[in-house]
Amino acid sequence: MMKFKSLLAAAAMALGVCGLVQGAQAETLRVGMECTYFPFNYRTPEGEMAGYDVDVAKGVAKIIGADLDYVCQKWDGMVPALLANKFDIIVASMSITEERLKKMDFSVPYRVSIGRFLGPKGKDLKLFDEAGKPVPANFDGLRIGVERGSTYSSWINAKLPGATLQVYDGNEPMLLDLANGRVDLAITNPMKAYLDFLSKPDGAGFEFVSPPIDEKEFFGIGVGIGVRKGQDELLKRINGALETMIKDGSLKEYSLKYFPFAINPDNWQGVGTN
Amino acid sequence: MTLDPQLILDSLPLIAQGLGITLKLLFYSSLFGIALAVITLLMRISGRWYLSWPAQAYIYFFRGTPILVQIFIIYYGLPQFGFIRNSILWPILREPFTCCVIALGLNSGAYVSEILRGGVLGVDKGLTEAGKALGLSSPQRFIYITAPIAIRLSLPAYSNEFISTLKATALASTVTLMDVTGVARTLVSQTYAPYEIFIAAAILYLAFAWISYVALAWLEARASRYVKKGN
Repeated sequence: MMKFKSLLAAAAMALGVCGLVQGAQAETLRVGMECTYFPFNYRTPEGEMAGYDVDVAKGVAKIIGADLDYVCQKWDGMVPALLANKFDIIVASMSITEERLKKMDFSVPYRVSIGRFLGPKGKDLKLFDEAGKPVPANFDGLRIGVERGSTYSSWINAKLPGATLQVYDGNEPMLLDLANGRVDLAITNPMKAYLDFLSKPDGAGFEFVSPPIDEKEFFGIGVGIGVRKGQDELLKRINGALETMIKDGSLKEYSLKYFPFAINPDNWQGVGTN
Repeated sequence: MTLDPQLILDSLPLIAQGLGITLKLLFYSSLFGIALAVITLLMRISGRWYLSWPAQAYIYFFRGTPILVQIFIIYYGLPQFGFIRNSILWPILREPFTCCVIALGLNSGAYVSEILRGGVLGVDKGLTEAGKALGLSSPQRFIYITAPIAIRLSLPAYSNEFISTLKATALASTVTLMDVTGVARTLVSQTYAPYEIFIAAAILYLAFAWISYVALAWLEARASRYVKKGN
């Protein structure tokens, strides 16, 4: 009995020593990002890194007990640089796609892909019901601006077959025509819409006229943290950290720092959704 | 890169849905262009500087700038001014279709005006002098002697201009219209098969250009039926 107790004590001591060693030389996580992508990852005039991606990276690092080292990398070389071990993870607003999953792994999404309708302020068009589902009849006779070939136009074709679509080659001309009254509504990425339009004088008379539409089969899974394949242990810790941050509301808090609406996943849906 | 002939065949009926808009654009803008051309031609040959100069300025501007720029100025440029959005013209300028008809018509009008002027200058002076001798007034001489001959002389150049306008209608796809090119570009964004889809669109344009060519050649032959052959 005595022997067993001392064994236990020895084991506990060994573990404690281990923990101490780990604490003393904390691991450093090198994070690849563009450093120029406002408001996701950018430098403030004081030279500090800031943005939603940066906040997420800091949050993850804090939970898994690592130090952060930012590596600024141009977008077109981002994945090659990760694979060449120039940094350990990508936190750069990178969408999770089939194509990228062939080369690398992604964490669960820390930002969702959503679409949202924009329209003139103060018109109660009753386009969506209480449950946030579109009411097709109320879209009749309305002209809707969409980008050519975008996921938003696929969504409208599937959900609102009676809508009249006006197809644009870019976001800017579409929002210009919304401001000019050539279209009644426009559907787009709410972050772009907010940064380029709603927060500017041109967009003063306009607002979001729909809830965020989050349908993965149309808009994709979202934006995740990228890691090299085979880094399952690291990926597991990152997913664990994101789970904590989704559940305790830190992700929501970060997103509300930059946008007047949430861009984070609402609730934890478990690993393996991608 | 492999070519999928089946995809070309399959996409033809889809792209043909845009043919209606392409042909309507061509019809209305050609009509508008001819009306403008006749008016500016009369202004230019009136011999009065205050009529001739504005006509020349118009022709210079529309022949000297790309049609795409003209479409963008009319479609995106004009609504920048609040007074235009509040004017009675707005219901017309609000529609992408009418904006394109205006731009294409203004452009084609400038070219056709020059073509017609060439025709008028080509009419033998002796014929109008003969008309004068018969006691015809100046408007009568223009309507009965100069105009019919000028039209015949202008037709070959006009058929070129007509087919140019047909091809220029493709630019309407840049301002949201679903003409042949607009439908084709949308299909490309869904299928990622630009090669096959644009070949199908080109086949449609070629077919209609051929019909126009044959029709105008027939008109030309008919207008020249009194002309001595080999002249």
